[in-house]
Amino acid sequence: MPNAKRVSRRDFNKLAASTAAVGPFFLLSGRARAAQKTLKIAKWSHFVPQFDPWFDNLAREWGQQHDTQVTVENIPVEKIAAAATAEVKAGKGHDVFIFPWPPAQFYQHAVDHTEIYQHVAGKYGAIPQIAYRSTYNFKNKKHFAFADFWAPSPLHFRQDYWAKIGMPLGPGHYGSLYSGGKHLRDEFHIPCGLAFTPTLEGNITLHTMLYAFRAWILTGNDEVVFNKNVFAGVALKYLLQLYREAGTPDQLGWSPGGSVSAMVAGKTSCAINAISLLRAAEAQDPQTAGNIWLQQPLLGRSGMGITALPHVTNCAVVWSFGQNQDEAKQFVADLIDSSRAGYASSLGFNFPTYPKTVPDLIVRLSKDPQANPHDKYVVLKDALHWTPNLGVPGFATPAFMEVFNGFLIPKMVQRVLKGESSPEDAAAAAATEIQRIADKWQQIT
Amino acid sequence: MKIIREQTSPVVVGMAMMGLAFLTAPNLAAAQTATPTPSSVTGVAAFNPPPCDYNDTFYMDNGLTPTDVVGRFGTSRLTGPPATGKQVNWVADSTCSQRDPDRRNFRILAITGGFPDDETGSPTEFITILGFVTNQTAFETTYSRNVGAINGGLDGDQQNPGETISIVNSANPRSISMQNLVSNFEAYPAPRQRLANGKIALNPCQADMVSPLAPAQPCFDLSTVNAVFTPNLRQDWRFATNRNAIDGSDNNCISNDPTVCTPPGGSGTAPPQSDSPFGYFCDDLLGMWINSYFWYTVDPANPGKVCGPILKQLGQQNGLTADGTPIVTTGDQLDNQLEANGCAAEGQLAFDGSDGGAIWLVCPAIPDPRAGAISADAFLDQVHNNNGTPQNIGLTLNFLSLQRFGVFFTQLTAAQQSQINTAEAAVN
Repeated sequence: MPNAKRVSRRDFNKLAASTAAVGPFFLLSGRARAAQKTLKIAKWSHFVPQFDPWFDNLAREWGQQHDTQVTVENIPVEKIAAAATAEVKAGKGHDVFIFPWPPAQFYQHAVDHTEIYQHVAGKYGAIPQIAYRSTYNFKNKKHFAFADFWAPSPLHFRQDYWAKIGMPLGPGHYGSLYSGGKHLRDEFHIPCGLAFTPTLEGNITLHTMLYAFRAWILTGNDEVVFNKNVFAGVALKYLLQLYREAGTPDQLGWSPGGSVSAMVAGKTSCAINAISLLRAAEAQDPQTAGNIWLQQPLLGRSGMGITALPHVTNCAVVWSFGQNQDEAKQFVADLIDSSRAGYASSLGFNFPTYPKTVPDLIVRLSKDPQANPHDKYVVLKDALHWTPNLGVPGFATPAFMEVFNGFLIPKMVQRVLKGESSPEDAAAAAATEIQRIADKWQQIT
Repeated sequence: MKIIREQTSPVVVGMAMMGLAFLTAPNLAAAQTATPTPSSVTGVAAFNPPPCDYNDTFYMDNGLTPTDVVGRFGTSRLTGPPATGKQVNWVADSTCSQRDPDRRNFRILAITGGFPDDETGSPTEFITILGFVTNQTAFETTYSRNVGAINGGLDGDQQNPGETISIVNSANPRSISMQNLVSNFEAYPAPRQRLANGKIALNPCQADMVSPLAPAQPCFDLSTVNAVFTPNLRQDWRFATNRNAIDGSDNNCISNDPTVCTPPGGSGTAPPQSDSPFGYFCDDLLGMWINSYFWYTVDPANPGKVCGPILKQLGQQNGLTADGTPIVTTGDQLDNQLEANGCAAEGQLAFDGSDGGAIWLVCPAIPDPRAGAISADAFLDQVHNNNGTPQNIGLTLNFLSLQRFGVFFTQLTAAQQSQINTAEAAVN
């Protein structure tokens, strides 16, 4: 897999050619045609360092092709929500804002991205489910964003550690995660390393675990279902047991990327994360990387099967208050043509929303030049089938995403793990807050 | 996906009706014969072979060490559960390997019935529990075998390096570990919770499986494979039937776009690959399942205000087990009605074998139980009530119909159904 820091000539020619072939489907306004145009892009800083320089070059060269001055601002993930909120409040900012999750809360400030999906459909087929359910507002029947890639969240585990306790192939299900994790900590003082923090990895980890225990937040109709059955309480009690008997206090205090650093340093036995964790290990410590194995998500309970939420759902938004909407739409639409190069530049982190853009994905997964062994990543072959959208079993609605971005779930879990609240009380309090959020969004048309 | 259950072609039905004239009285005494009798299905072409154990090579080719298969039919468990009385669970049969070179010459007579996971609750699933896996270490970490190599020919000029079947780092040639693959297929055993002293146990004895919804003691034990023997189950099995088509009609591709997915041997422009999730008949070639044990967390005699009405309604709908708990036939009943309200729980045994017991089953479902797959000497392994009657009469009727006529009970004529009813009454 090439370590593409720049857009290759071939990629760029392909991008330009495809754009030319299809032609600008958005009619540029007279104002836009009149002079040097500008396009300001904000995006989350990618977890794979090689990606951002590649994207910067892609954007710059797109600008040259379209007589547009393009600037890209990379924003740390933990500051994305605040930055977007500030722009919305000010009614000005960037033209394209790229989130690592569905920005459903901002739907009132986004153009309808349906036309972008329609345009892309001509080349790559109908909108895939994960994009549809991540970017569609079923109340106003518009798409508030365009999703071009996502990142699966496999289980990373230290194979050498787990082999010591008779589980060389990893824990497989939540029961073995607990029993094996406890064994590892008791005997070898290696704790389990799942993130329980109000960070992206903590959020994804805990939402994944709740979902795997059938402790859903909202129904498909956006009705609050959390704590209206026993699943939330059961999940919280499991988490408490896992933390107390197999965990470490560090799990409550890690800053963004903390669980990655801990595992790369050999301090923990497992983590739920995007493959940027393993890529970091490959870059920093190949020997450790060889001992970190990937596994499909743990088998859930109560009929949930094997499942994990996407670590990232890359969603580009063209603000409705943006000054250069035509160029912004064109850029976002053209972005899909570079999915293949984006996959390579992200070292396989970016799973294409449209499979047709990277048709040899499985072959690439099975022959990864950096992996040891080279077929280590092929466990992700079925990732699309075990990865639902954020908001599942419903859509990524404003209410769900406010719960997500407010870190309600990590905060609830932390109260339990710190002994500040019983699982029952914490679940009840969280349910009340979720209901308040849902009611608020019900009032907003 | 082509659904074979309860969908019978007019041809098959017609053949069955034509065969009615040749119907002989069921020879129950012949149930122990070791002679293969796939052609005994009356009036229906017996094109489906009865089940046999896999040979050692096939186990190893698929990532499982055959000597680590506990209670393997053909090697052990000739008698005893599920066989009763003079029954045997398997017989020597030299035609097994002739019909399928991946099989060894032991034909399975014990046919276990169960429910599919399609929310119908239909008693239409038939499987053969060939053995049990009790530790993750049973999955091979390394293995290699060359097949098809040719070195010779008349003039010594025929050369073919063959293909290598390999397991490297526990992954098969497709880089998939058998453990990961099998975890996609859940089987739901329901261990008996009524203890010998008459008390009901509301949790397993395995500490890592204890549900917080009920007291840990008294407990029922899952530490040996005997826990999933039929006499120790309170109801028949349910199997998660998330399967791909067995006839290749979907080509194991989710995408219809030939540039995205090209099935093996297909003509698409994409590299040969499958973009579909694991399929039972396509990937899980040993027919393995992971056991998701489920149990009640409330005493049926005192279920409480929340669970009481649910148990009552389910009991009226499905009947009761010998424990006095309702029978569960669908995922919705277990997940959304019982577990959601704190009336039941589920869990799996630890992969390191520390819990003991059957973590996985080598338990291939019979792809198509019609037309000869249920031989004349096979017997049905199903859960019985305390009075000895079958808990699910539908399983019995389907089994006998398949055995005698090669089709499901609902596909029989009224006269044939009458005969099956008579046979059922005679058996039970």
